[in-house]
Amino acid sequence: MTIVEQLDLVGEGVDRVDGPLKVTGAAHYPNDFSFPDLAHAALVRSTVAAGRISRLDTSAAQASPGVLAVITHQNAPSLGRASDTVILSAPPPPLQGDRILHYGQYVAVVVAGTAEEATAAARRVEAEYEATEPLLDLHDPRAEVLTDPFELDSSRGDAGAALASAEVTFEATYTTVDNTNNPLGLFTTVAAWDGEALTVHDSTQWPDALRTALAQVFGVPESGVRVLVPFVGGGFGAGLRVWPHVMLAALAARTVGRPVKLVLTRPEMFTGVGHRTATEQRIKIGATRDGRLVAIDHESTTTLQMEGDNFEPCASGTAYAYACPNVSTRDRQVRLNVTWCNSMRAPGEAQGNFALESAMDELSYELGIDPLELRLRNYAESQPQLGLPWSSKALRECYEVGAERFGWSRRLPEPRSMRDGDWLIGYGLAGVSFFWFQKPCEATATLRRDGTALVRSAVTDIGTGTYTVMAQLSAELLGLDLPRVTFELGDTDLPPGVVAGGSGLTAGLGSAIHAACRNLVQAFLDTVRDDPTSPLAGCAVDEVSIGRGRLHRTGSPERGEAYTDILVAHGLTELSAHGASTPADSREVGLAPAGPFGAKFVEVRVDPDLGLLRVARVVSVIDAGRILNEKTATSQIIGGTVGGIGMAMFEETVTDPGSGRIANATFGDYLIPVNADIPDIQVSFVGRPDRFNPVGVKGVGEIGLVGMGAAIANAVHHATGRRIRSLPITIDKLF
Amino acid sequence: MREFEYVRAGEVGQAVATVTADPDASYLAGGTTQIDLMKDGVLEPDRLVDITRLPLAGVARDGDVLRVGALTTMEELAADPTVTVRLPFLREALLLGASVQLRNMATIGGNLLQRTRCRYFRDPTVPACNKRHRGSGCAAVRGVARMHAILGASEHCIAVHASDMAVPLVALHAVVHLRGTGGERSVPLTEFYRVPGDTPDVENVLTHGELITAVDIPLLPPDAHSTYLKIRDRVSYEFALTSAAVALRFDGGVIGEAHVALGGVGTIPWHAPEAERALRGLPPSLEVFTAAAEAAVRDPFTVEGTAFKVELVKRTLVRALRTAAGGAS
Repeated sequence: MTIVEQLDLVGEGVDRVDGPLKVTGAAHYPNDFSFPDLAHAALVRSTVAAGRISRLDTSAAQASPGVLAVITHQNAPSLGRASDTVILSAPPPPLQGDRILHYGQYVAVVVAGTAEEATAAARRVEAEYEATEPLLDLHDPRAEVLTDPFELDSSRGDAGAALASAEVTFEATYTTVDNTNNPLGLFTTVAAWDGEALTVHDSTQWPDALRTALAQVFGVPESGVRVLVPFVGGGFGAGLRVWPHVMLAALAARTVGRPVKLVLTRPEMFTGVGHRTATEQRIKIGATRDGRLVAIDHESTTTLQMEGDNFEPCASGTAYAYACPNVSTRDRQVRLNVTWCNSMRAPGEAQGNFALESAMDELSYELGIDPLELRLRNYAESQPQLGLPWSSKALRECYEVGAERFGWSRRLPEPRSMRDGDWLIGYGLAGVSFFWFQKPCEATATLRRDGTALVRSAVTDIGTGTYTVMAQLSAELLGLDLPRVTFELGDTDLPPGVVAGGSGLTAGLGSAIHAACRNLVQAFLDTVRDDPTSPLAGCAVDEVSIGRGRLHRTGSPERGEAYTDILVAHGLTELSAHGASTPADSREVGLAPAGPFGAKFVEVRVDPDLGLLRVARVVSVIDAGRILNEKTATSQIIGGTVGGIGMAMFEETVTDPGSGRIANATFGDYLIPVNADIPDIQVSFVGRPDRFNPVGVKGVGEIGLVGMGAAIANAVHHATGRRIRSLPITIDKLF
Repeated sequence: MREFEYVRAGEVGQAVATVTADPDASYLAGGTTQIDLMKDGVLEPDRLVDITRLPLAGVARDGDVLRVGALTTMEELAADPTVTVRLPFLREALLLGASVQLRNMATIGGNLLQRTRCRYFRDPTVPACNKRHRGSGCAAVRGVARMHAILGASEHCIAVHASDMAVPLVALHAVVHLRGTGGERSVPLTEFYRVPGDTPDVENVLTHGELITAVDIPLLPPDAHSTYLKIRDRVSYEFALTSAAVALRFDGGVIGEAHVALGGVGTIPWHAPEAERALRGLPPSLEVFTAAAEAAVRDPFTVEGTAFKVELVKRTLVRALRTAAGGAS
């Protein structure tokens, strides 16, 4: 099958197909859904981080106006535990005992006729605790340490020996702090039971996992559980897990026999839907005098809540970032009485890249080699762990195009050598080799007699543009005009969809849609195979071309037939096909699957007397394979860059050292960048379609963030001569 | 729901009488802080007396004094032409505070009375807060304290008074007009606020029910040079880590008149008369400015998280003085 006439559909900056719905308020987010007889729930959270509940008095809450139920561990039914998922398994069900493992853990849920009544009554629940000393410090010797928790630790060559004999060695420790995802949309669950059947509207990034988990938690058939999420107000990873509050909303609805809505408050968003963990990373690098890496040793320690998992590999990416013969990477996690650790845009990579790319910059100064040149001298032409060619890699172009657009050659090598009045000017860069991630996905494609197509999969669009790019891709694959194609998502009644995470949705879903559309074309060819009147009779799928709603024999445009004519001729109202994708096997195809690559160039201004730091401009050049929609892809990179500036300069979830309480759980106190902090951000895409999936795409959802920490820290060093090895880079570290 | 009574006051005397007579009543003006604190359960008034319809808004000039009605909004005051010309550092302080949405609601009287941003004060689940419950202790002293005070602070309380606007106002010796059931009185702003001591719950000299009706702001001389420098992590919408309000008037080659106050570092808006004395009569120089900064920051009380502010606020003041003096040339 070749596609000849519609190629212009993909790649172009097509406006979001759901844009009008969003700007007119017609897009329904989870908290826009309601039911007749809807009741509302509010949560009561633990005010200590460790210990047990010693007394719980709900009488005042019970007597509060409008209250329908107060559910605590004393009266909650036994709930099942969701089975582990490939990553980010659901936390254990809440209210199953009196143990407290973190601040903000739910100790009660109050259900009332209105949200205000529920909130007021929740404040009347009296809880007392037998508090124990919480473990909160990464270095606490009493804390359990998990080694190689992701089974991604790697070793090639002999890093220790190579470091001992290297001409130049460099060693440093880098730290990052807890960050909170903070999607703008407050996470909401609306749950409604009908007998054993449960319908849930929820702010999830993974509807199928939520369906499975809820069925297991409540011991009901999975087939009766339906999760709906046509729109979600952002996620940044916060919607990857099935959180306890979702289970509580469903439990509340079951208890009172009415549909229940639960909207988290902003402070609850800081304790209930995960966070990016603090890290401490030690890097040792050995090199030759002329800047060839001979060894890298990267050890990362991150925090972990008291039970359950978290996927935060910070060191493992170092194993394939550079051509280096001796590399050892190790990840460790330390269990503490902290709120749930979870993926936040570019888990592991965000922190790991900060350490590695800062260390490379430091090495460049030790060697007296331009930081860009040092990276090019150690460019990994093939995947160093597998020894296979990359499925695609245009990182060199990222560097070259970025340096040109940024004007890297104007950089004076000496720190503190560029100035504008009170402001010191610094240039910094970071390279990014993002991980590859793809999981199986399914989709269906249906073409009806009016010439419109409906393509469906139970995925989510967390604001990335999935609705738009998948409609574009489907239109191209079916040879239809874009307005004739609708992509439907966010409903577990649709074919099982892949998680919107790991920058893997576009490849997984795109490949499934590719298969579904190909199968649909095949279904049309099957329909006419034995039809002597059809010019396509007996034609194989690889012998046809498509365009303008029509199939024809490749090379003979006149020998073809419109989809609609085929349906009419054969008395059909529609034809449908299913498609599934499974990631290819790298050994089979002889390619190392590549994630996206990128180069970040940053100019900062620093007022060294007052510690003021401003980002003046950012140039991002990204290789993400084939770009389905340059407009939405650019938005992804800009958004990621803003998130990266937040991580580098502002964001810190502050835990009170004595109590484990989150001490800055508001948007006034937890600083995310405001518009005035964001400079001109230029984005370019380079590279060619990736060879590991039939669509040729690599994800753009996370890479925009990665590299900003190091690029800014490196630019700060260039501006001031001061090396900041801990994020965020705030005034007190700079003045 | 926690219910409370809402009353819209029609006349000043009636409003004052209503609140004075009811220990659980409070005034409601712009509400930008008060409503938040009520939602968070920090403030629980049984009765709110809405004063926004009272005739207490507006700016009037009387010679070299600007009389600002208590219900004038921050944005209105910032836009006043006299403020622009004769009180430029007040305008800067106003416009560097909050966001335009908040400034359109927040009033001058309310701004002077705004409550601290201390997160230990603002979370009623934290048991130790002397400002909420006298004698209960101070969780912030042993907690995470970055946005906290180093001047006028003690182990009893390190909560900062976060107003930007009040910083130039104390530097200018503005006067607050109050109305109580017993009549009216006027208090210089420099004597209005109370350093917490061991009663951090007492923040100012107001008796319950007393209402701020206006603020008199002396204008700067036309040849004065002023600036408000606010240092914070992000460019906009954040409270000050440190700030300095400075106004200088030169007399021949020397500083004839100096107004200096500091923000982001004091439990009250921090007037620095010692710095003013260290500047007066001397020619502007880095040495003189540095000496003034040293004089302004005497005996700071620091905890781990606030120690950096001692040096940062001195540099903030030196930079503000440099800027103001630079504007003289």
